[in-house]
Amino acid sequence: MTTTDDHQTSAPTGAGQLPRTIDVTDDQRVPFARLVAVETRKSFDTRAGRWLTISIVGLVLVVVGVGVFAFPDDAQDYVSLLGVTGGVLGYFLPILMIMLVTSEWSQRTGLNTFTLEPRRTRVIGAKITAGLGLAVVVLALGAAIAAVGVLLSPANGGEAVWNLGYNEVQNFSLSSLIGVLVGFALAMLLRSSPVAIVVYFVYTFILPGVVAALGALVDGFDKVAPWIEFNTAQTPLFTGDYRATGEEWAQIAVTGLIWLVVPFVLGLWRLVRAEVK
Amino acid sequence: MIEVTGLTRTYGGFTAVDDVTFTCEPGRVTGFLGPNGAGKSTTMRVMVGLTPPTRGRVTIGGHLYRDLPNPGRHVGVLLDAGAQHAGRTGREILTLGARSMMLPRSRVDEMLHTVSLTDDEAGRRVRDYSLGMKQRLGIAHALLGDPEVLVLDEPANGLDPAGIRWMRDLLKGYARRGGTVLLSSHLLNEVELVADEMILIGRGRIVAQGDKQSLLAGAHHGEATTIVSALDPTALATALRACGLDPTPEGNGFKVAATTAEVGRAALEHLVVLTELRNGAAGLEDLFLELTSDTQRETAGAAA
Ligand SMILES: Nc1ncnc2c1ncn2[C@@H]1O[C@H](COP(=O)(O)OP(=O)(O)O)[C@@H](O)[C@H]1O
Ligand SMILES: [Mg+2]
Repeated sequence: MTTTDDHQTSAPTGAGQLPRTIDVTDDQRVPFARLVAVETRKSFDTRAGRWLTISIVGLVLVVVGVGVFAFPDDAQDYVSLLGVTGGVLGYFLPILMIMLVTSEWSQRTGLNTFTLEPRRTRVIGAKITAGLGLAVVVLALGAAIAAVGVLLSPANGGEAVWNLGYNEVQNFSLSSLIGVLVGFALAMLLRSSPVAIVVYFVYTFILPGVVAALGALVDGFDKVAPWIEFNTAQTPLFTGDYRATGEEWAQIAVTGLIWLVVPFVLGLWRLVRAEVK
Repeated sequence: MIEVTGLTRTYGGFTAVDDVTFTCEPGRVTGFLGPNGAGKSTTMRVMVGLTPPTRGRVTIGGHLYRDLPNPGRHVGVLLDAGAQHAGRTGREILTLGARSMMLPRSRVDEMLHTVSLTDDEAGRRVRDYSLGMKQRLGIAHALLGDPEVLVLDEPANGLDPAGIRWMRDLLKGYARRGGTVLLSSHLLNEVELVADEMILIGRGRIVAQGDKQSLLAGAHHGEATTIVSALDPTALATALRACGLDPTPEGNGFKVAATTAEVGRAALEHLVVLTELRNGAAGLEDLFLELTSDTQRETAGAAA
């Protein structure tokens, strides 16, 4: 059939009877829970994604193993082993979170994602929820691995010491989740996996060291540092008695505003306006 | 139905899409044709909310795209078949799409079947797909939600001739059932056979639109041109002049501003043996090149 024939047969229908509007009165938005389920699925449906999570859990197994067999007996209690677990997860869980956001750009899947759900804040909300859910599961897995470590700790002498209290649990989770959210904010802001990961490592590894060095060199800087550097401000959460004082909570709030809230809002603002291509 | 009204998109000082207005009717395939960099993809990204417009607006079925509660159920979109996670399998990509639109999983198999991707191919990672397979997957993804409107950016890229014919039939059938199809290409022959309506764009501006006949008519201002050659060219030239025609030499014959019938009659009257007689009017190809070659003519074309 030629173009001309087509044109002549379809023109009357095209002009007259076919509906020119789309009826959406019975349409339902895709439930938020479904968006979360899809985002979670995306973390596991590639080999790279699966191995990232498996490697993180594997790393926890290794450090707890090292702890159980190489740490002095008095450092094989649950709080100590949970401490090293939290350290590992604090560094690596944010990478999981970063990838959830940046892969939409690096792999250009955002073209699909944001056409199927043009309300980008919903997608972002689903990603945060999926990422936090994943983080909580991995944290629980980490805590379980640390517990197994404590059970095994008498193998090379000493006793299994269960000294876990509410504060430790709260702060172990809190500092990890803060890290995850900082990673998410950086990912939205930078939209590139390597850049966001490097910046996160500078923030979490290098910055506290620089601040500590400055504190030693510059008089009075150690008083200022907890008010401007987020990691420093969080130190009371996972050292000493695992308890933050009123002033320390204030420092966490102020630095949290600088390092978490501001980048997050800025990142969200940029992402909602960004051109997806 | 897609309605684009006064759409402009600038990047810094550069205007990628310049005051573009057109309509895609239901039941018809609309070809969106223009050379590389003409602004086709930008226009299509604006349609589906991926690129914010600088001015103007696009509605699909009377709605802004972002106001569609579950847009995948109404608008099938394929902007770039390569924009997929290389590590996902084809089946997984369709599954993510089906889940995102609240469709039953059976839809994935149906669509794989529609685009003739085998189970084995669907289980391979997209990294190992040929461009043609990616295009098929992309079309399957666009069709997942059984939409009324299709927006396809260069879907024939990378398809083999059989694939191009397959897609042509698919899109024609889709339009015949009442669907609205907008399909872009920088190659005329990909669009010519399937499009009922054509929008020609060059440097961000619409330079001509209409069906094939009206485009050609507009381009030649109704003037006929004939290419003719004869065993005896001198006799032919004499014969044509005798009938008041003005032949200009072209190749081993002449180009005449007259219909083939007029030229044939002149030859018959003077008993000249013709070896060639055909319509010499520029085809769509020439029109396309002419319209999009420089800005001066673009204005003339748009007015025609
Ligand atoms: N983000 C951008 N910044 C600057 N120029 C852009 C951007 N996106 C597209 N362009 C330009 O806009 C023009 C139109 O591009 P595009 O819509 O992709 O054309 P087509 O799809 O017709 O080949 C091109 O010249 C391109 O370089
Ligand atoms: Mg393009």
